[in-house]
Amino acid sequence: MNEVAGFWAVIVVLAAGTFLMRSIPLWLHGRSFMPPWVDRFLRYVPAAALTALVVPGSLYVRADGDYEFAPVRVVAACIALLIAVRTKSVMATMLGGMAVLWVGQAFVG
Amino acid sequence: MPDRTAAHAAPGRARTVRSMLAGAKDVSPIILGIVPFGLVAGAAVVEAGFGLIEAVGMSLLVNAGASQIAATALFAEGAPLWIAIGTALVINARMLIYAASFAPVVVPHTSRRGRVLLGHPLVDQSYAVTMTRGRFRTDVDVVPYYVGSWLILASLWQVSNIVGALAGSFVPPEWSLDFTVPLVFLAMLVPALKRRTDVEVALVTAFAAALLVPTLPMQTGLLAAIAAGMGWGALRHHEAGAEAVAGRE
Repeated sequence: MNEVAGFWAVIVVLAAGTFLMRSIPLWLHGRSFMPPWVDRFLRYVPAAALTALVVPGSLYVRADGDYEFAPVRVVAACIALLIAVRTKSVMATMLGGMAVLWVGQAFVG
Repeated sequence: MPDRTAAHAAPGRARTVRSMLAGAKDVSPIILGIVPFGLVAGAAVVEAGFGLIEAVGMSLLVNAGASQIAATALFAEGAPLWIAIGTALVINARMLIYAASFAPVVVPHTSRRGRVLLGHPLVDQSYAVTMTRGRFRTDVDVVPYYVGSWLILASLWQVSNIVGALAGSFVPPEWSLDFTVPLVFLAMLVPALKRRTDVEVALVTAFAAALLVPTLPMQTGLLAAIAAGMGWGALRHHEAGAEAVAGRE
């Protein structure tokens, strides 16, 4: 399968699955279909998923398929975390983190 | 009383439009946050080697930013398709909870036919504004309010995706634009850590991701780290529940 077809396959299947997860509880309204233990897991999806999307890119850079530890990114991510806690602004967090990364890369290389 | 009759007869379309505008207006204070997010999502698609059609198509069909960025990044890193799809679906599994709590608010006001598509506009922001404000407003209808809030969100999301895709292709790799992805999610993570257990879940997931993402084969580390965090949360939740029961005895 070529790259473009593969990517469209991801888009279509992801779209269908997401549509079903959004819709089924609305379609089945009034009927209980989700066991309580599922609810206990799903409750923590946002904290777990968002963390998993933050951590690898804040610790490593990919070089030829290998993960290399990147101290500059760690520092930039920590400062961005402080900015996020203080300002609660996506834009400020992003600009602050990128600024630290660029300064760090200019010095460390 | 002719006025009252007129106001009563008017509801139909005028009230629907008014409700949609009210939803759009109420959501506007929180929509600026999606602009940087949309820029990053659009740029990620281009960075993965695809174009504007893929960026726009993905946004229209999937309509869930975090999962779009995750699926795109995993695909670009050469993960098997089922891993890219599976990880993104787990990220979107929160929609099940949203939809379950949302059903009593909107389903009674929707026709059987309307219910088919009622789920698609359900995103973090349209859910939040409808649950916290829209459903308590007596001057609007809740379903058009919800759809209206999503329409303005989706329009801005689409525009920022396109700008991100166009601008992303001109940015040289030395700028390390890929680092904007963890930064955007970091900014979203902070307000999501409301309870003590959320912080624990984040810490467990962070350790698991740091360890497993570089070591597990086929890019399965991300999925494993999310599962570890959710597992910890469910376990702690269970303990807390057991303690509450014990305390009452």
